[in-house]
Amino acid sequence: MPESMDDSKMTATPLTRVLGILGIVAGVLMAVLGLFISPPDVVQGEAVRMLYLHVPSIWIAYGSFVLTSISSLLFLVRSRRREDGGRHYDRIAGSAAEVGVVFTGLTLITGMLWGKVTWGTYWQWDARLTTTVLLFVTYLGYLALRRLPADPIVRGRRAAVMALISFINVPIVHYSVDWWRTLHQKASLSVGRRPEITGEMYWTLLYSALTVTIVGAWLIVHRYRVIRLEEIRDEENLKMLISSRRHERPTGSAADGEVS
Amino acid sequence: MSEVATVAIGWGLTFVVIATYSFWVVSRGRTIGRELGIGEVQQSGQEQESDLSTDT
Repeated sequence: MPESMDDSKMTATPLTRVLGILGIVAGVLMAVLGLFISPPDVVQGEAVRMLYLHVPSIWIAYGSFVLTSISSLLFLVRSRRREDGGRHYDRIAGSAAEVGVVFTGLTLITGMLWGKVTWGTYWQWDARLTTTVLLFVTYLGYLALRRLPADPIVRGRRAAVMALISFINVPIVHYSVDWWRTLHQKASLSVGRRPEITGEMYWTLLYSALTVTIVGAWLIVHRYRVIRLEEIRDEENLKMLISSRRHERPTGSAADGEVS
Repeated sequence: MSEVATVAIGWGLTFVVIATYSFWVVSRGRTIGRELGIGEVQQSGQEQESDLSTDT
């Protein structure tokens, strides 16, 4: 058993187990509500059921990218003061960004399917769709940057800067439907504005958002712990490598000396 | 493709993507946990199962 065995080596605790089970149960109930109980829309018909996935997916993606940005900022500010170089914040940023990318991808897929039914086409290069795909690609680039071999602190700083730059696009995506004339409809729910949907559809959408938030939180916590495990494994591998190099006998030069 | 079929594909794809990603995250944690010796501790019974498990 390695000396550093502690809580940080786990990816599950009783609390995350409860969260995981809650996510599964909530997901099943969400499917029942979204697919069977919620009525079809007068204009959109059955396609409205896609919005119970599409809208919460982009919300959790926004939330994940906000978390990534805050953690990246904290990493940049505090990395010099903390013993571990602030890598805790770097891990939060990385795990949240990955979950955000997954949900942005789901937003694009469900949006394309919804668009096919409603608009008659999978894709249009309008402002909302274009900025969303740009968001997806920039955060994919962020994840790729995190995988480049470098000193963890240096790599973390580069990634943090990229995360902050990438975040500029989040409000642009959200307000693109207000700033430009787009094919995409305006936000279904918005602070300070009367909801576009009511009744069972409204509550189903809110419930779906809650469910996706639970699932997203569970994924971020587990991904964080997996990143921590990867770091411990890499550190132990490096220690073993250095140790084995130190114990290596300098056979090459000694043998040469004997021959000459 | 009918509206119902499109909705079914959308929901199906979403659940498959989330399930696959969740499975990947959990199994990666398990694999690395085993490399680091967490599994061995579980088998020897030195620690409680709930403290060291790497699954859901």
